[in-house]
Amino acid sequence: MALKPINRKADRMVTYLANQGDVPPAEQMAGPVDPAAANAGADENAEDVVALGGRLPEIPEIPHIPLGCSLVFAPGWEVDEAGGTAGLCQPVERDLFDCHLACFWPAHVPDQLNHSPDWTGKCAAAQNDWRKLEMIFP
Amino acid sequence: MSGRISLFVSLPRRRYHPYAAYTGKQEFLQLPGPRMVHRPRLTRARLLAGLLVAGASVFAAGVSAQSDEEGFAIEHETIRARCAACHLPDSEGRMSRISFERKTPEGWQGSLQRMISLNGVTLAPEEAREIVKYLSDHQGLAPEELRPGLFEVEKRMIDHRYEADTDVEFTCIQCHSMGRVITQRRTREEWELLMSTHRGYYPLADFQAFLRMGPTPDQPGPDGEPPDTRQPMERAVDHLSEVFPLHTPEWAAWSATMRPPRLEGTWVLSGHQPGRGAAYGTVTMGDGGEQDAFVTRASYTHPATGETVTRRGRGLVYTGYQWRGRSFESDEADGAMREVMVVERGMNEIAGRWFRGDYDEIGMDVRLTRLAGSPVVAGVHPHALQLGGGEREVRIFGAGFADDVGPGDVDLGPGLTVNRVVSASSEEIALNVTLAPDAVPGGRDVFVGGASLAQGVVVHDGIDRIQVLPRTGMARVGGIVFPKGYQQFEAVAFDDGPDGRPSSDDDLELGPIEVEWSLEEYAATFDDNDIEYVGSIDQTGLFVPAVDGPNPDRDRNRNNVGDVWVVATLAQDDNGDRPLRARAHLVVTVPLYLLFDAGANVSTGASPDPAASPNGRGNRTPGPGPGMGGNPK
Repeated sequence: MALKPINRKADRMVTYLANQGDVPPAEQMAGPVDPAAANAGADENAEDVVALGGRLPEIPEIPHIPLGCSLVFAPGWEVDEAGGTAGLCQPVERDLFDCHLACFWPAHVPDQLNHSPDWTGKCAAAQNDWRKLEMIFP
Repeated sequence: MSGRISLFVSLPRRRYHPYAAYTGKQEFLQLPGPRMVHRPRLTRARLLAGLLVAGASVFAAGVSAQSDEEGFAIEHETIRARCAACHLPDSEGRMSRISFERKTPEGWQGSLQRMISLNGVTLAPEEAREIVKYLSDHQGLAPEELRPGLFEVEKRMIDHRYEADTDVEFTCIQCHSMGRVITQRRTREEWELLMSTHRGYYPLADFQAFLRMGPTPDQPGPDGEPPDTRQPMERAVDHLSEVFPLHTPEWAAWSATMRPPRLEGTWVLSGHQPGRGAAYGTVTMGDGGEQDAFVTRASYTHPATGETVTRRGRGLVYTGYQWRGRSFESDEADGAMREVMVVERGMNEIAGRWFRGDYDEIGMDVRLTRLAGSPVVAGVHPHALQLGGGEREVRIFGAGFADDVGPGDVDLGPGLTVNRVVSASSEEIALNVTLAPDAVPGGRDVFVGGASLAQGVVVHDGIDRIQVLPRTGMARVGGIVFPKGYQQFEAVAFDDGPDGRPSSDDDLELGPIEVEWSLEEYAATFDDNDIEYVGSIDQTGLFVPAVDGPNPDRDRNRNNVGDVWVVATLAQDDNGDRPLRARAHLVVTVPLYLLFDAGANVSTGASPDPAASPNGRGNRTPGPGPGMGGNPK
């Protein structure tokens, strides 16, 4: 089923996609609107989306992961595959033993094989005893 | 945590944009969602296999030096005495492994720490400093080689992309920053041994990044070339051996000209610290009592806040240009900062970053210019001058100014008239200035008694938009057991420039500006109310995360993690404009439980502000970094 554009902006995008390669995207989007094309499928009374305050909206750059020297990965310890925290295993304490024993996050959680074999020695259940864990400097 | 590999995905997986899944591209449709990604269980069989494959290489230090003739002879007695038990020297004085690498001081210190923690090496602190110094000087990086990886040693949170080979980047950044890789040089055999060391110490690396999990590709690629059947780690070795070899023209050239730096004297400081704005002042360097060592006294002002800071410290220069220092605001080590800078060729400029060390995210960009006879202009406050209004005061910061400077000695450019000198000292001139109503908006070079500063001031006709920096931030919950990770934001103002269009090339950047800071929900998950739990932001733009640990008040005891918008609002008071708003994405995430940081010695704590800390030091206390030189004398 074909989608019907509901405003001029959507219609321009449909027109552009239909003629992709004929017109450079930037020119197409920034230049004057072809009335015929604009009205081909859209409501004549529809208006383009406009910025609040009369200015073009600032479009934040979509987060890029990783961030330089940080230890951020996609997906990773700090963020999930969507670049946020919603998909992380929570609370983190419930997963610490597994991370430690499997040495799965060697740059984030002390590894059991080499640097910290006894890291969880004082901590029978991390969700309850997490205060007994220590920061490790390998 | 959500797994970061999948046995179900044909590798090599390409690093993909978090939002690329919505593009509908086939390669992303193959990726499982978070719930489908499973970590492979570390069975004993897998562990044993990994150890057998790679373990021998971990302990290969005892084999004879590599057969090629590329290595560096090591003539340092301490190294030969303390390391030769495992790293056997050959007849040419080359020691296995050590002679076939070049690294930064941090890289060499990391190697030493690993030898101490995992291989039973015992070294006195003085011996360790000697070894790091020798190896950094004789097997370091040339300035041109280090520059792309400066963010690693300067602890910068930048948006880094390794463009040379994104597949190799993907392999490496599964566990650490690409900065660690690009700040090393090795022979091919050494890159192979590095890979083996990884596999020996972290057997799961095979499944996470090093080996292809899917079938061997047998179809030509999009370019028609035969399929690349190499394993990811083989591809990495091939690439790294080619682009980061042991011997390079850059290192040969730098080795020929490298000499002890002569830095004694007075330097003019120009800096910028997010949250506090510009900083201007001077740094005096004196002989540190040993080669390449210096003692420092710094004094600078943040004009935006009126805060004046004095520091004294000590620094050591590695490889002829890499400054590593440490300074304090008092004898009690208050306000300790680590200093990582590069002495530019010519030894008249030094640039880098000073940062807390305990909280790397709190720091200041610094540029030092040698004061040699003629004056130096460091900066002007205020930097942005808006059309309209009457006379105003402008302060010029620098050093070497004449005490009797007059209005005719200062040229602020067209449209700016210097009426009189309000006050003058060798480091600051206060002026009474009139800005003509018809002055053309734009930057102005500033001249003072023969010295100049390009684009020292900017004339504008009003703020048209603001921007929050960084565009993406990250903080970590902490304060009970593990340290908090803060995030400092800053709002920067812009004039749209002559064309009146935002984000075009003629925009005028007006510098940091005071705004009202707030948080808004980032709608990642319906009704998760992250904003109620993640922490708060103060009116300097500093985000302070909430405490670590499970929160019984949250659904399923979630930690105080979440995603929020950081919003800056500027109330416009002219032309009836509406308030200007800008925002940045902030991820508040889980702590780190170990820290591969050569200089850090972290205890838990709550504040990066020395004044807010019970002992006046914050709570993460830095230890001596590479050649930090200990306490200042």
